[in-house]
Order: sequence, then structure tokens, then C-alpha cells
Amino acid sequence: MKRVLVVDDAATVRLYHRQVLEGAGFHVDEAINGIEAMEKAVAQAYDLYIVDVNMPRMDGYSFLRQLRTRTDVSQAPAVMVSTEAEERDRMWAYAAGANYYVTKPARPEHLLTVATLLTGGGSE
Amino acid sequence: MGLKKAGQVRQEESPAGFRRYERNYQGLLCQLGDPDPAVRRWAVRDLASYPEAASELVLLLAEEPEIEVREAIATSLELIGGRTAVEGLIPLLRSEDAGLRNTAIEVLQHLPDDVAVHTERLLVEPDSDLRIFAVNIMETLPHPRREEWLSGILRSDPHVNVVAAALNLLSEIGSERVLPGVLEAGRRFPAEPYIQFACQMVEKRIRSL
Amino acid sequence: MLDLEINEDEFCVFRELFYRRTGIWFEDSKRYFVDRRLADRIQATGSENFRQYYLKLRFSENTPEWQALTNAMTVNETYFFRETHQFDCLVNSMLNEVAANKPDGGRIRIWSIPSSSGEEPYSIAINLLENWPALERYEVEVLASDIDTRILEQAQRGVYSPRSVQHVPEVYLQKYFHRLANGDYQICEDLRGSVEFSQVNLMDPAATRCFRNVDVIFCRNLLIYFDDASRRKAAEVFYDALTHGGFVCLGHSESMSRISSLFTVRRFPDAIVYQKPTRGVRP
Repeated sequence: MKRVLVVDDAATVRLYHRQVLEGAGFHVDEAINGIEAMEKAVAQAYDLYIVDVNMPRMDGYSFLRQLRTRTDVSQAPAVMVSTEAEERDRMWAYAAGANYYVTKPARPEHLLTVATLLTGGGSE
Repeated sequence: MGLKKAGQVRQEESPAGFRRYERNYQGLLCQLGDPDPAVRRWAVRDLASYPEAASELVLLLAEEPEIEVREAIATSLELIGGRTAVEGLIPLLRSEDAGLRNTAIEVLQHLPDDVAVHTERLLVEPDSDLRIFAVNIMETLPHPRREEWLSGILRSDPHVNVVAAALNLLSEIGSERVLPGVLEAGRRFPAEPYIQFACQMVEKRIRSL
Repeated sequence: MLDLEINEDEFCVFRELFYRRTGIWFEDSKRYFVDRRLADRIQATGSENFRQYYLKLRFSENTPEWQALTNAMTVNETYFFRETHQFDCLVNSMLNEVAANKPDGGRIRIWSIPSSSGEEPYSIAINLLENWPALERYEVEVLASDIDTRILEQAQRGVYSPRSVQHVPEVYLQKYFHRLANGDYQICEDLRGSVEFSQVNLMDPAATRCFRNVDVIFCRNLLIYFDDASRRKAAEVFYDALTHGGFVCLGHSESMSRISSLFTVRRFPDAIVYQKPTRGVRP
């Protein structure tokens, strides 16, 4: 079972992503900001990170940048999910270490397509 | 060697060595420009006792690269509070630096009384990101018009993510008064799965609590 | 007596708020545990229903009610060798990293705050003596602070109930404690003399100013009871007190994620701890 870490400060968004991903057989953990995400990332291996941008204490870009410099966490693919739709935001996401960029609100089919593409599917 | 006996432990003095300037207001302001982040950090901490330092601290925040100094600025601004701090922080919500934006939001969330007067204005900003931030700031604002404002967004804000932000807030706490707005939001965005999901969540919570 | 039922949505909403504030997440299986205590608090505060209580909590984070609530929802017993994996981490990992940057004979400082009645600093001292082979090469100071003078006196007397020492291996019990006539155990004088106790209010800069060049801080199950602003302040005090590369251990259900981004999380075989970044290293 593939493990996903969903990082977003809004509980409803986390629940939404959880339901979509669990429905496709993924195991989902949650974190409320980049710091908690890093705590979970060092404690267990993930196959995918779904990361919001605007979060208290540590934003999504900072989390990704730190993630990509560490050797003690799984360098799994990361999807940045953001309200910002400018091309420059997309570029910054890739520069910070994201593999893919999805604009909020994410459509379930889109999120699942991306998640499957990046991990090979939930229940493999 | 080994475990030292109590009573032999030397107590350290605070690092006075690097205080090249006087520890008064002017001296502290000078230290804000020091190349050593530790010096800037101490100056920021001491400036929490000087409300007049708010605008200088905001200026520094906008340019400061070191986390340890940024966090100290956030703490000092929260302690100082007031109009100058709030008016200085609001423009930072437009920053391209996500960390800076989020620090500004966090500080503003801790100054609900000072922020209240700006909320209405922010809610009608042409920039949807600013409207989203206005909603975020409302998280800690027990303002009597809170539900009125949120209902307004649900009924008529054109941007899906502003409406989503309002729904996210209401999924924690909302009264029956916002229900008509919630239903309207669901009607206005019939093809947005997240909005439908969030509306259902809010409705369910309001009816259960 | 009001028989208050908490419904599923109320549980979910409460759970989310508590998680956001403290980082502690209650699984569905903890329903009964949470519901009972929540109902108690609703009654204790004179709230008419969940909604009223929730509103109080939601918009006033620094009231004593948050402390009372957190107290009710967490287990608070102090005893020797509590969360012993962190002491293992100290002697197996943290101190070795710390010592790598010290000359022979160099000083290592460990700070236990709050030290409460002393179980924690004495546990640290015993672990150092028994499980850190490199101890003799360095000068190690164990500092212990608490805001409460009565409890500090108790700590300095070093007398403990059998319950408090139940997790102490028998061989250490023989070595470091005397059994008293009433069945209690007293820490031997030598060990009592090896911990430096002081009265300190973590929120008072004048009191914390003199704690510098600390290598490891144990601050377990304190910050969880603080409001946001006080927690941030405490994190800054620790940051100032620590050497670069120094460590902070929080309680096992506590996290820096609600407090501060100043520290880097580090995973060691025995525990996950926080580290003040070494100089010039931050991505």
C-alpha cells in the first residue's frame, strides 16, 4: 500500500484529499504545516507528498526545500497544491523541489491521476 | 572529570561582549543593521519594549533572510501590536515570499482587535489572495459581524478559493444564520467538487452542533 | 447530574481544535476517553452545551480552561525513567554528537526544566553514570530548574515513593538509593550533590539569561500547557540557551510544529529530538 502525506492547514481540505486518496487504496497521513510534515517524514517512509503553500510556522516551499536537502527522509515525489495559479508560482514550486503542481481546488480525478502517475497507484 | 558537583557550576553572564552600541532605543535601531544575525536578533527582542519601533521592525521583516531574526520580529510585533504594526504588515500579504506572507498572517491573527477595523476593507479588495487572507485572519476574530461577512462571501464572492476559505472556517464553527449562504454557495459552484464537499460538511456540522 | 452526550460531529470538531492547538490527535478508538473528559469540562465551566464550551475554547486560547482541558486529556504522572527512550537517545546519540565538538575535559551542560520533584534530572544523572562510557573525558553539569520552590526543596531532599521508582532497574536502585524505614527511597548524597537545582520562571528573561552554552535541554510536558505566545517565548529562551548543534527533547506527544521553526527535527534510533542548527547551515 502506497503511503501519502497530506500537508495542509485546513482540516476540510485534508479530509477531502484523504477521502479521494483512500478511495483509491492509498494510506494517508496528515500534517498541519511544514514542521509537522518534516517530523512525520523523518519517522516513516512516504511514497508521495501533497503539499499546500500557505501554512502557519512553515510554508510549503520551505518544507520542500528542506526536504530535498535532507538525506534522512524519503525523497518521494511531491505535488504542490496551491491557490496561486500564476506561471511563476509553478516555476517556484519546481525550483523548491515539487514534481507537479495542482491548482486548488483540486478535482478528484486530477488528483488521483497525478498521484497514480507519480507512485504507480495506491494499492500496488 | 565526569559529573560535576553542584555549587561548582559557573553561571554565565549574558553575551554583553558584542554590544557595540548603547542599549537604548537609538542604539538598538543601529543594531538592526548589524551583519551578525545574533546581534539583530537580540536588538529585535529588546525593541519589544518600544512601541515606536513597530515600523522599523516591519521594514526589517520584509528584508530579513534569517529565520531566527524573523521569528523574533514576529514575537516582538505581537507584543507591541497596535495600528502601526497592523498597517505595516497588511501590505506584506502581497509579498511574493510565501514565508513572509505567512508570518504576516500569523502576527495579524494574534492582533484581532487591531485588525478588525481593516477586515471589511480587505474583504472587498480586487485581489482574491487578499480576500483569502482576510478570511484567514478572521480565524481568531470573535467579531460580532464575522458571520455576516462570511455569509456575504458565500453569497457573492466570484472567486472559488475565497468561498472555499470561508467554508473551511465555517466547518469548525458556524451558526444556523450562515446556512442560507452555504446553500447559495453550493448553488453558485455546482461543478466544483470541493465546494460541494465543503458545503455538505458545513451544513452537517451546523445541524449537529 | 447532567448526562451530557457528545455526538460524532462534536467529537470531530473538538478533536480537530485540540489537534490544531497541541498536535495531539485522538483516534476514533479514544472516543470514550475524550467524551467523558469533555463532558466534565463542559459542566465544570458552567457551559450549557458543547457549542457554548467550544466557542469559549476557540476564541480565547490563553484562558486557564485550556490548561485544565489539556491536563484532563493528558497523562501527567512523573516518575523515574519516564520516557526512557529519550535518556537512551541522550547517551547513545546526542551526547556523542555533542562531545565530538568538545576538547577532552570540555564542559557539557544538560538542563532539565521543569525538573519538578527531581525524577528527571536524577534519571539523567544515573543514565550518564551507567550508560555513557565517555563521561570521564568531559565535565558534565546537570542543571535542574523549576518555578516552584517547594517542589525544588522536595527534589533536593530526594525522597521518593516506591511507585515513583518502579521503573528503575534493581541494580541502580541498590547503587543510587537508600531504602528508608517507611519504605520510601532516598537518592544517595553523592548523586544529590551532582545536580544543580535553581528556581527559574521560564518566562522571566532575567532568570533565564544566565543559562548559556547548554548542550541538551529536557523540557517535557510543560509547553503543552502554555498558550501560543508563551510557547514561542520558551522556544526562544531555549534557542538562546543552546549551543549551535545543541538539542531539545520535548514530551513524546509534543511537537515544535505548533511552536517554532527555529529547530531542525532529528531522528535517532531511540528518539526524535530537535536541534538548534549548526552555524551557517540552513537550506
